[in-house]
Amino acid sequence: MSIGRLVIALILLVAVGSATAGWLVMSHRQAQNRIEVAYPEGVAAVVPLGISAGQAPTLNIGVANPLADDPNSVQDGKKLFRTMNCASCHGYGATGGMGPNLTDTAWRYGGTPIEVYKSIYEGRPQGMPAWGNALPPQTVWQLVAYIQSLGGTFAARPVSYTSPSPANPDQASQTGQKQ
Amino acid sequence: MRVLLAVAAMTAATGSVQAQSSPAQSSPEQSSPAQASFSGATASFAGAGQPGEWTSQARDYANTRFSPLDQITRETVGKLQVAWTFSDGTQYGHEGAPLVVGDTMYVVSPYPDTAYALDLSQAGPAIKWKFDPNPSPQAIGKACCDAVIRGWAYADGKLIYNLLDDHTVAVDAATGKEVWRTQMDDVAKGVTMTQSAFVADGKVFVGNSGGEMGVNGWLAALDVATGKEIWRAHAVGPDKDVRIDGTFKPFYDWMKGKDLGVTTWPADQWHTGAGASWGFVSYDEQTKTIYYGTSNPGPRVPLQRPGDNLWTSAMFARDPQTGMAKWGYQFTPHDQWDYDGVNEAVLLDMPIDGKMRQTLVHFDRNTYAYTIDRNTGEVLLADNFAYQNWSTGFDFKTGRPIVDPALEPKPEVKLDRVCPPDIGQKDWEPPAFSPDTGLLYVGVFNICMGLTNHEVSYIAGTPYDGMEMERFSVDGPDGNWGGLLAWDPAHGKKIWEIPEKFMVMSGVIATASDLIFYGTTDGWFRAADAWTGKVLWSKKLGSGIIGQPITYLGPDGRQYVAVAAGVGGAAMVQSGRPGFLPRGNTIYVFSVNGETVQTAADAAPEAIGAVKQP
Repeated sequence: MSIGRLVIALILLVAVGSATAGWLVMSHRQAQNRIEVAYPEGVAAVVPLGISAGQAPTLNIGVANPLADDPNSVQDGKKLFRTMNCASCHGYGATGGMGPNLTDTAWRYGGTPIEVYKSIYEGRPQGMPAWGNALPPQTVWQLVAYIQSLGGTFAARPVSYTSPSPANPDQASQTGQKQ
Repeated sequence: MRVLLAVAAMTAATGSVQAQSSPAQSSPEQSSPAQASFSGATASFAGAGQPGEWTSQARDYANTRFSPLDQITRETVGKLQVAWTFSDGTQYGHEGAPLVVGDTMYVVSPYPDTAYALDLSQAGPAIKWKFDPNPSPQAIGKACCDAVIRGWAYADGKLIYNLLDDHTVAVDAATGKEVWRTQMDDVAKGVTMTQSAFVADGKVFVGNSGGEMGVNGWLAALDVATGKEIWRAHAVGPDKDVRIDGTFKPFYDWMKGKDLGVTTWPADQWHTGAGASWGFVSYDEQTKTIYYGTSNPGPRVPLQRPGDNLWTSAMFARDPQTGMAKWGYQFTPHDQWDYDGVNEAVLLDMPIDGKMRQTLVHFDRNTYAYTIDRNTGEVLLADNFAYQNWSTGFDFKTGRPIVDPALEPKPEVKLDRVCPPDIGQKDWEPPAFSPDTGLLYVGVFNICMGLTNHEVSYIAGTPYDGMEMERFSVDGPDGNWGGLLAWDPAHGKKIWEIPEKFMVMSGVIATASDLIFYGTTDGWFRAADAWTGKVLWSKKLGSGIIGQPITYLGPDGRQYVAVAAGVGGAAMVQSGRPGFLPRGNTIYVFSVNGETVQTAADAAPEAIGAVKQP
């Protein structure tokens, strides 16, 4: 009982502290992106027309969820989604509430597994707490696995916007399609 | 004669009231000033500005939302047209009332809480100044029910309001420059501020939001001139925190005792017990007493917090100078359905059983309408104003509602139909009082919930909630979700009701010409006869209405009626229903025939380069 209480208290302390840090980190990172990211010739905008923001190219897009093939991770992630109060914000069906819908393909901060991981880890400016110091990587990946199972995320491999032709079915299947 | 008129009025009410827009039919026969008040209730209108002004959210300290204006009558209301509009461009719920002081209208947008002063003497009108306080976006995701603001206050040349990120700010009303800004709490812990600041007795009273976030609820008094905190009274915790001492005199024995804000909770759980104060405050100038309500307890799962959970879902009467509590009364002990007690107190004097009583009238989310002796906290009347099924009656000896045990939620067990749902059959939307009819006019819901509770842990900055719900009409899939009703507070009974397809979550106003105005969450703005409920005028606006209407005299001497259309907040539980409008952000201002200020600058500009006709 008292140990459980202590653990929760510890989580809280860390979560509160890192929420603030997460906001600072985010602002900095966004500013960096605006300056440093160069788009290849012929790409008109950050989010190319007709392609969801969830699939916009960002750093480390190629990192896959190491637990993607673990059958228990989705169930563990679903349990965590409730116990860590994610459900109270994003809805018990993850379709949105105080926080955004996690089952559709619109992702403010990217919808590949690593981007979802980073959103959980760092927190986000509009109230998403930073869980990176409170939860170990394995736990965050379990949450990502659950969110991936809901169907709105994108594949872990980089996407080329220059040649999404049917000649390359592997790429075509990734343009805006749910997994 | 009088009886005949009353009978005619009642017939009109039962026979002709329509839920949907009826074309404006003027009804000149209905002017009957000799008609007798239903209740004999009266109010002090202290704290109101000039007759043509609207200087506080409720217009006066008693919270009547009654205007003495009578230019727009039951005969001319059918000719109301849009005079002008103002859009602030934000997309969260628009819940506040514009204020009119002199020739200026003051409005504040929902997050990012931008303030505007509009010069009503100019055609258009013109923006005098704009103030952007830049609150932290973190607050958006900490607000349970949309990034709203329920109003703002004007006092001593300052516009004073709460920012969603837990600051109270005062802006110079003449220049739009910030005068002071006081940090009231920490948004990272899930605390937000959506309440409307209220000014009386030289102080500004502000409270917190976050009943779903395990906050520690409070109401604070700040100095109007400096923003310095004078006192802060919590709803949970030891008597010292709650500002209770030997002068505290609750009416009922079970609310007497030491540190009940601690002992009616499991050990140490009061810290996260909520009891936030985000509703309207009222003030009795004679007895120098403020009245306000407190929110639900946290977490919302009742099995995790056995006990009465004082002083959540309750009302306090306090001394504005010291903050010390005079009395307290808990509407829903051990609140199991998130019924809160935040709804406003309307201060009225009325004869009850032949004796004049100084009362407050409170429509609780739990669906009891209370008429309470405002000097003692004694419940004089407690009657259901709409359908509910959680309570089988009211025990006047103890002042406690009797709970149906079958509707007490248990974790992971679904209750199929609890009425009302968490947001009550009336949420924060404030009623109006007419001293002519003696009635209160209140927007209500007609809904229930399916409820499954899940046990939760407290994690700062995240919801301490655990209620999984869906809401639906009391009357089945095709049933109405709301209505507007006229309530006799001296006899505890409904006089008439205008049924509405969608929830009525707007404020209501009443005028000296016996009109009431209200809006629906599907965008109908309506005027009705205060005696009969006959709808005399309706206009569909661009979004659902959850704002509070006002009426005022412009610098041109015309009477205007204004309301914001910008749906959001708890009204979004209907977002999946056909006919529900998108969000919006426009204040609509109406006058007879749409006539308004015309100035030289407003004359059509002359085209340049046009060839003159020979």
